[in-house]
Amino acid sequence: MSTRTVRTLGLVAAAALLAACGSGGQIGDSGGSAPTAVKKMVLIPGVAAEPFYISMECGFREAAKAAGYEVDVQAPAKFDAPLQIPIVTGVLANKPGAVLIAPTDDKALAGPMKQLKDAGVKVVEVDTKLQDTSIAESSISSNNAQGGKKAAETLARLVGDKQGSVLVLNTKAGTSTTDARAKGFEDAIKAFPNLKYLGQQYTDNEPDQAASKVTATLSSDPDLIGVFATNLNTGEGAATGLRNAGKTGAVNLVGFDASPKQVQDLQAGVVQALIAQDPATIGKTGVEQAVAAIEGKEVKRNIETDLVAITKTDAAGSERYFYKQAC
Amino acid sequence: MTTPQRKPLLQRLAGTNTLWIALVLLLLIAVFGALRPDAVLTVFTLQTTLVETAVLLVLAVGMTFVIITSGIDLSVGSVLVFSGVTSAMTMNALSGGDATNAGWGVVAVGLLVALVSGAAWGLLNGVLIAKAKIPALIVTLGSFGAALGAGQLISNGSNVSGVPNVLSNNLGTGTTFGVPNLVILAAVITAAGALLLGTTRFGRHTYAIGSNEEAARRVGISVTRHLMTVYLLAGVLAGLAGFMATAYFRVASITGHDTDNLNAIAGVVLGGTSLFGGAGSIVGTIFGVFIPAVLRKGFVIVGVNVYWQPIAVAIVLVAAVWFDQSRRKARDQR
Repeated sequence: MSTRTVRTLGLVAAAALLAACGSGGQIGDSGGSAPTAVKKMVLIPGVAAEPFYISMECGFREAAKAAGYEVDVQAPAKFDAPLQIPIVTGVLANKPGAVLIAPTDDKALAGPMKQLKDAGVKVVEVDTKLQDTSIAESSISSNNAQGGKKAAETLARLVGDKQGSVLVLNTKAGTSTTDARAKGFEDAIKAFPNLKYLGQQYTDNEPDQAASKVTATLSSDPDLIGVFATNLNTGEGAATGLRNAGKTGAVNLVGFDASPKQVQDLQAGVVQALIAQDPATIGKTGVEQAVAAIEGKEVKRNIETDLVAITKTDAAGSERYFYKQAC
Repeated sequence: MTTPQRKPLLQRLAGTNTLWIALVLLLLIAVFGALRPDAVLTVFTLQTTLVETAVLLVLAVGMTFVIITSGIDLSVGSVLVFSGVTSAMTMNALSGGDATNAGWGVVAVGLLVALVSGAAWGLLNGVLIAKAKIPALIVTLGSFGAALGAGQLISNGSNVSGVPNVLSNNLGTGTTFGVPNLVILAAVITAAGALLLGTTRFGRHTYAIGSNEEAARRVGISVTRHLMTVYLLAGVLAGLAGFMATAYFRVASITGHDTDNLNAIAGVVLGGTSLFGGAGSIVGTIFGVFIPAVLRKGFVIVGVNVYWQPIAVAIVLVAAVWFDQSRRKARDQR
C-alpha cells in the first residue's frame, strides 16, 4: 500500500468519523433555529384542483390576507403521500411562519411534518390528520360522524312514513373519513323503524363498482328506498346504477359534498340531498389557529366544523355551501 | 405418433380451453341462481350485469391482441380517462361551454376526438415498443402515468360534465328490444375482434409473433409494423371505451379507473390467453371478463360479508386459472 493510499484512506476515515459523531442528526435537520419568515403562511391541500380544497383555499387566502400574512398554496397533483412529501420538504426550505396541511397519509407525513415543527414552523392540520397528535398545534376537520347522522335524518325526512330498505355505499375499508360518515349514518338510522338498514358495501372508490352494487341490491332487495353514498365517486356510480334501473327519484339518493356537478345533479333530481362540508370555514379557522400559535396565544387543539344537509327545496338559500372551482 | 395438422389442432385447443372457462361461468351462475333464484335469474340482473361489463369488455378485446403478441398494455385505463376528457371537453367547447343539449353532429365529433386521442397514445406506445425496442411493461407504465396526468392537466383535475343528453340517453342507458345499446356496441366490437383474430392473416401474424418473434421476422412478417398496429388497435379501443364510459356515467371521470388495466389483463388471462404470448382467444376473454363481474354481483345479492367479497373473488380467480393450467399440463403430458 503506497503512502498516498494510506493518507487518502486516513482522510476518508476521519471524515466519516466526523460525520458520524458530529451531530447524529437526520436528513432535513435545520441545524439550529434560523429565523422563520414569520409573516408568511403556506397551505398544502391534499390534492390540486378539487372543488373541496379550492373552497378551503378561498377561505384560507381571505383570512390570511385579512390578518396581514403573505400566502402561498402548494398542492400535489394526486392525493398521494409520495407526491406531497417533497412539497412539505420544499416548503421547509422557505421557513414560513405557519403551514396548514391536509396530510394525505396519517403516518407517512409524520416525519416531514415533524421537521417543519422542529424548524419552528407552526403546523395546523386541516381536513385530515396524523395519528401522531404531538406534531400539529391544532386540527380542524369536518365532523364526519355528524354528516352521516344528518344523511340518515335527511333520508328519513325524504322517505316520510314509507317502509323500505336503505344501503350505504362506502369507499375503501379503512378510510377514516368515509368510515366515520357510514358509522354516523348507521347509528342514526336505527331511530327510524320504517327503514331497514342493509349494511354497507365497499366500492374501492370506483364508480362502476358502486353502480354494480346498487343494481345488485335492487335485485336482492327490491324494496330499496334510500342510498347514502359517502363521497363523490360512490354518488356518481349510484346515480348511474339507479338511472339504468329506471329508479332515479324512486330511490332517494343522498350524496356527500357539494361540488358543482353534484349541485347540478341535485337540481336535476338525480340526487335528492347532499351533505355539504364547510371547507371555507375549515381554511379560515386554520388561519385563526395558526395566527394564535405564532403570536403565542391560546390555541384550540381540536376543532370540528359543522355540516349541512341540502335538498332541492332549500338549495336556493344554501349557495354559500356550494364548493367552488375558483375563488 | 402422427403429427396432426397445425391449424385444426390450434382451433381445437382454443375451443376446449374456452369450454372449461365457460363451464366455470355457468357453474357460478347456477350456484347464485340456486341461492337466490328470485333475484339472480331475472332480466334486470342480466341487463345490468351486461351493461356494467360492456366498457371493460371493449378494453379487454384490445388487450387480448396485445397479450397474444406476448406484450402488455398497462395504459388502457389512463387512455380511457384521457379520451373521455378530450371528447367531453371538445363537445362542451363546440356547444359554448355546456353540451348537455347538443345534437348528433357534436356527438359525432366527440366520438372522433375520443378515437383519435386513443389512437395517438396507442401509436406512441407502439412506436416506443416496436421501433425503439423499449420493453412494453415500461413504455405502457410510462403512458399509464402520462395519459392520466395529461387528462388532469387538460381538465384542471376535475371531472368534466355536460355530456349531451342524446348521447347518454341513447348509448348510455338506451335499449333496443330490451338489450342495452352499450352492450350491442360492445358485442359488435367483440365479434369484429374475434373475426379479426380468428380468421384473418392479421390474426395469424399476431399469434406467430407471440409464439416466436424472431421466427416470424425470418418468414417475412413485418413484425415492427404489426406490433405498432396492435398497440394502435388497443389505443383506439381504449379511446372508444372512454367515450362509452362518458355516455354511461354522464361525466368524464378522472378518478376511478386506476385498476381498469389490471381488470382487463385479469379477464384476458382468465379466458385462457397465455401471458407468454402465442395462444388465446377473444371468446375466452368474454368469459374471463364476466367471471369477476358475476362474482361481484352475486356476492352482493346473496349477502356475502363485505370484507369477504374481495377475498372470495381472488380465490375464485386464482383457482380458475390454476385449474386451467393443471388441466393443460395433464394434456401436454399425454
